[in-house]
Amino acid sequence: MDVKAHWVGYAWAAGATVACTLAGLAMRSRFDLVNIAMVYLLAVVIVALRFPRGPAIAASGLSVAAFDFLFVPPRGAFTVDDVQYLLTFAVMMAVALIISRLVESVHRQAAAQAALEIEAETERIRSALLASISHDLRTPLAVMAGASSSLVESGERLTAADRLALAKSVFDQAREMSEHVAKVLQMTRIETGAIKLDRDWAALSEIVGSVLARLSERMAAHRVIVELPDDLPLVRVDATLIEQALGNLLENCARHTPPGTVVRLRAHRHGNEIVVSVEDFSGGLSDGDVERVFAKFHRGSIEAAGTGLGLGLAICRAIVRLHQGNAWAERVPAGGTAFRFTLPLEEAPLVPAEAASG
Amino acid sequence: MAELRPTILIVEDEPDIRQFLRASFGVEGYRVVESATGRRGIIDAGTHKPDLAIVDLGLPDLDGIEVVRRIREWSPMPIVVLSARVQERSKIEALDAGADDYVTKPFGIGELLARVRAALRHAARKGSGTPILRFGPAVVDLERRTTSRGGEDVRLTPIEFRLLGALAKHAGMVVTHRQLLTEVWGPGHQNDTHYLRIYMKQLRDKLEIDPVQPRHLLTETGIGYRLILDE
Repeated sequence: MDVKAHWVGYAWAAGATVACTLAGLAMRSRFDLVNIAMVYLLAVVIVALRFPRGPAIAASGLSVAAFDFLFVPPRGAFTVDDVQYLLTFAVMMAVALIISRLVESVHRQAAAQAALEIEAETERIRSALLASISHDLRTPLAVMAGASSSLVESGERLTAADRLALAKSVFDQAREMSEHVAKVLQMTRIETGAIKLDRDWAALSEIVGSVLARLSERMAAHRVIVELPDDLPLVRVDATLIEQALGNLLENCARHTPPGTVVRLRAHRHGNEIVVSVEDFSGGLSDGDVERVFAKFHRGSIEAAGTGLGLGLAICRAIVRLHQGNAWAERVPAGGTAFRFTLPLEEAPLVPAEAASG
Repeated sequence: MAELRPTILIVEDEPDIRQFLRASFGVEGYRVVESATGRRGIIDAGTHKPDLAIVDLGLPDLDGIEVVRRIREWSPMPIVVLSARVQERSKIEALDAGADDYVTKPFGIGELLARVRAALRHAARKGSGTPILRFGPAVVDLERRTTSRGGEDVRLTPIEFRLLGALAKHAGMVVTHRQLLTEVWGPGHQNDTHYLRIYMKQLRDKLEIDPVQPRHLLTETGIGYRLILDE
C-alpha cells in the first residue's frame, strides 16, 4: 500500500510535468516565459498538496529541467546562463517543500484530533457509566435506606399494610439493583475477556422456555407469541449466556414498549446459521436508534425514568459476537422493531436411533 | 419423644444472612442450627442430625462443595446450596457431589423456602415409594410402565421411560446433565448432552401441553432438568 502510494506520487510528478510541458508548448507563441513558469509552479503545488515531499521535489526538479531544456534559450540544452532561472528553480523547490510541510502538519493534527476523539469517547462512556450508577443505583439505594429506616424507627406505629408496602419496596429495589450490578459486572467481564465460553449442544426451544419462565413476571403485561419450527437444529453454545442474551432482548421490549404490546419471539434456519428474532409491534425506533441501540449506554432518544443502564443490548451483542454471530435491530414493515441475532450452525453429532419398542 | 418441627442446619459465614434465615425459618416453624464455618457445619451435621442442610458455597475455611461431599458420605439428608451468580461451575460441582438443589444469591426468602419444602417433601417421599407420578395431564405408573395423557395411553420408548424415571427419582429437585446421562445411558456418555436435548424434547412433546413453555419438565439452563409433580 505504502510502496504503491509512493509510485503513484512519482507518476503524478512525471505526468504533471508532461502535461505542463504540453500546455507550455501550446502557449509558447503567445505567452511570456514567466507565464509558462507559472503553469509549472501550479503543477508543483498540486503534486505537493496531494503527495509527500519526495514526489513534490521530483515535480519541481522535473519542471525546472523541462522548462530549461525546452523553453529557456538556448533551447535543447541545459545551459542556464541566466541567473533568474536558477531563482525559478529555487522558488519552485521552496514552494514544494513548504506545501509538503504544511500538508504533513495538517495530517499530524488530524491524527491527534482523532486520538482526542477516541479519548473523548472513552470519557463519554465513563461518565455515562457514572451517571447511570448514580441514577440507577443511587435511586434504589435511597428508597431502600428510606423505607427500611421507616420500618426501624416507626415500625410499630405504622399500619400493617404500610409496613408491608415499605418492606416490599425494599425487596423490589434490591432485586432491581442486583440486576443492574450483575449487568455492569457482566459487561466488565466481557470487556476484560474474563468470560470463557462453556459450549455444549443446546436446544433453542429449551433456552426460550427457560427465559420465558424466568421473565414471566416482567413480561406479564405483554403478549408474547413464540414461533419456533419443530425441526430447529441443535446449536453448540454457552446456553447460560445465550439465555441471558435473549432475556436482555425481551427485557428491553418489556421496558420500552407499552403494556399490551405484542412481542413475537421467532427463530429460523437461514443457510448455515440460526436467526433469532424478538419483534415488538409498537411505535418502533427512529433511524438513528436502530443504528445505535446496541451501543453501550444507549438509552434511546426519549429519556424516560428508570430505563435501565442501557447495557442489556450491548451485553446481548457482546455475547452473540463471542459465539461468532451478529446482532442488530431493524424496523419491521408493520410498524415496530425487530431485534435479531444469529448463531452459526455446526453439524450436530448423531443420536443413535432407539430400537422400536415400548 | 420425636421433635415434630424439622431441624434446618445453616452453614453460612455471613452473620447478616444467618440472621434473616434464622428469623424466617423460625417463623415458618423450623428449628434452626447455625454454623459459621464449613468445619463446624460438618460437625453440627453429625451432632444435631438435622432434617436438611443449607450450605453456602463461599465459605472462608472450607469449600462448600467439600462440605456437601463430607455430609453426603454418611447422610442422605437433603442439601440445598447457596451460590453467587458467578459460581456457575461450582454450583454444578456441588450438585454432582450430592447437593439436591441450589438457590442463587441474592434470593428472596420465598424462593429458598419453596426449595426447602420441596426437598423435605422429596426426602419424605423417598421412603414411601409411590410408583404413580402425576403432573399436568400426565399419569405415569413406574411399576407397570404405563403412561397416559389426559386419559389416553401414550407410548414412551424405553429410553424416554428411563429418563423420566431418573427425573422422578429426584422429583422436584434439579438433576444435572451428567447425572441423567450416567443414569440413563451409562458412565461412558457423560458428555453426550445432545442425547438429552433430543429425548427431553420427545418427552415434552408427548407429555406437556405446551412443549416450548413446559410446566413440569423444566430446563435448568446450563445445569440440568427438573421434574415438577402435582402437589
